[in-house]
Amino acid sequence: MKNTETFSISRVWTIVIHEIYVTKRSLEIFFDIFFFPLINVFLFGLISRFISVGSANNQYLLLGVLLWEIVTIVQYNVTVSTMWEVWSHNLTNIFIAPISIVEYLVAHIAAGFIKTATILAILAAATSVFFNFNLLHVGIINLILFAANLAIFAVWIGVILLGFIFRFGTRMAAISWGVIFLFQPLTAAFFPVSVLPHWLQTISHAFPATYVFEDARKTLSVHHGILFESFFWTFIANVAYAMLAALVFKQLFKKSKDSGQFARNDLG
Amino acid sequence: MSELVLKVENLVKDYGAYRAVDSISFEIKKAEVLGLLGPNGAGKTTTIQMLTGITNLTSGKISYFGLDFNQHRRSSLQRINFTSAYNTLLGRITVKENLLTFAGLYGVKNRLSKIAELLEKFEISHLADQRYINLSAGERTRVNLAKSLLNDPELILMDEPTASLDPDIADKTLTWIEELRADRDLSILFTSHNMAEVERICDKVIFLEKGKIVSQGAPSDHTNKMNRVEVLLSYKGNREDLQKILESHKIAYDFPTDGTVRLETKKDKTAGVIALVVQAGFEIVDTEVKKPDLEQVFLEIARSNK
Repeated sequence: MKNTETFSISRVWTIVIHEIYVTKRSLEIFFDIFFFPLINVFLFGLISRFISVGSANNQYLLLGVLLWEIVTIVQYNVTVSTMWEVWSHNLTNIFIAPISIVEYLVAHIAAGFIKTATILAILAAATSVFFNFNLLHVGIINLILFAANLAIFAVWIGVILLGFIFRFGTRMAAISWGVIFLFQPLTAAFFPVSVLPHWLQTISHAFPATYVFEDARKTLSVHHGILFESFFWTFIANVAYAMLAALVFKQLFKKSKDSGQFARNDLG
Repeated sequence: MSELVLKVENLVKDYGAYRAVDSISFEIKKAEVLGLLGPNGAGKTTTIQMLTGITNLTSGKISYFGLDFNQHRRSSLQRINFTSAYNTLLGRITVKENLLTFAGLYGVKNRLSKIAELLEKFEISHLADQRYINLSAGERTRVNLAKSLLNDPELILMDEPTASLDPDIADKTLTWIEELRADRDLSILFTSHNMAEVERICDKVIFLEKGKIVSQGAPSDHTNKMNRVEVLLSYKGNREDLQKILESHKIAYDFPTDGTVRLETKKDKTAGVIALVVQAGFEIVDTEVKKPDLEQVFLEIARSNK
């Protein structure tokens, strides 16, 4: 008999494929993760063209907008994808099958990475064609390192939000979309940290994503090699946050199953 | 001895100070169908949630196939399945995509042919490429049943599988369940509010009330425990005279039709009551003694605690 207690790549892949089925058949998801980001890119592209013709600032803004989409799409996939299952009363069906919560989370993270890579490529092509901004100017390796750290940042925020949804039910649904935008100014995604009030700068520096956006802007203004050292320290901080997020999620998930909320989530 | 499929020992679930399930124990053997009955709030749903691992137990033990569910969660879930009128599949994707997902999660081999076989069995092959959300209640029930058989389970937990179905589809669904049981030696834990269904397919019935087991045994055991029968007499004679006699002996009665009286009495007094009517000079044309059915047992249990 096969051992179903160990981590299964096959079950992870099944959920990834399931996510692809859902995405291709959902107009809402198309709008959330493709249409709105595309409109965002055009909007900010036009705004930056209007307010800072010829300056480096319009490139900063477009760079921030593109990198920010990594955060939103990955977090969306970790958190909001589960809401579709809850609203369809299908979540418990999934967890009555022999899948672990870790496999489920890994699958959603993997699906988020696939979607992000695809959409980012399209958005980057659009900015190149319409606004003469090439995302690859930051360097391919740097781009991969930035993307990796932003994706991890999005994952741990998404995991904590998912924990709250499991624990407190669909009345927390709004946070699955809304909370991430709090981090848009806090991580200085579209502008240098120095623009923030001093007290907010201190808070901003607590988030790994802030360093990614700062580093990314540096690569546009000054010629830099590969920012391995900065990546490394940001990565370490991200991993520490991710571990903390895993602990918080574990507690919230346990409480959700203790209180019966996890099963009730499916009953609307 | 029959192989034990599920063993529940002293299962308790507390929600704060409220005890939803109070130290219940029961077993299901191979090819056995157990009905879990009780009024709303009796603890049936909470019990099923604990049996499927989506709600944690406060105390007690659940074992599937002799293995502790707490320690062998996924290998246990691999051998069981679940279907409910209240849990639907994902509406926005097709029937086939839904079934492919679950086939993948259960590690089913030859997924497409297995799905085709099950869709054919439930006469829904034409729905394979339909979005689940567009299906009728009856079609959804059949898809849910197909999903619950993907992994060739040895035990299926069925939570009101026929709720909201019209009588014809409900009857067909029960026939499928009976066939499945016969073909596969399938064990089933079945909950329903329809007592006729329960009497039809369950070997054993457990009544839950306020989280406790108040009665368990074969459906006939439950009805035999009730020391009450209904006697329907077709008679010839004056209705008012009969009324006076019955009232003087404190026998509960009503007249469903002209010339017919329905009497309620204890089982061991049936002959005496009939004799009383005959001795009073009434001619008995027809007699029918009706034992209580499961519905009456259910109502008595539900009302006794109000």
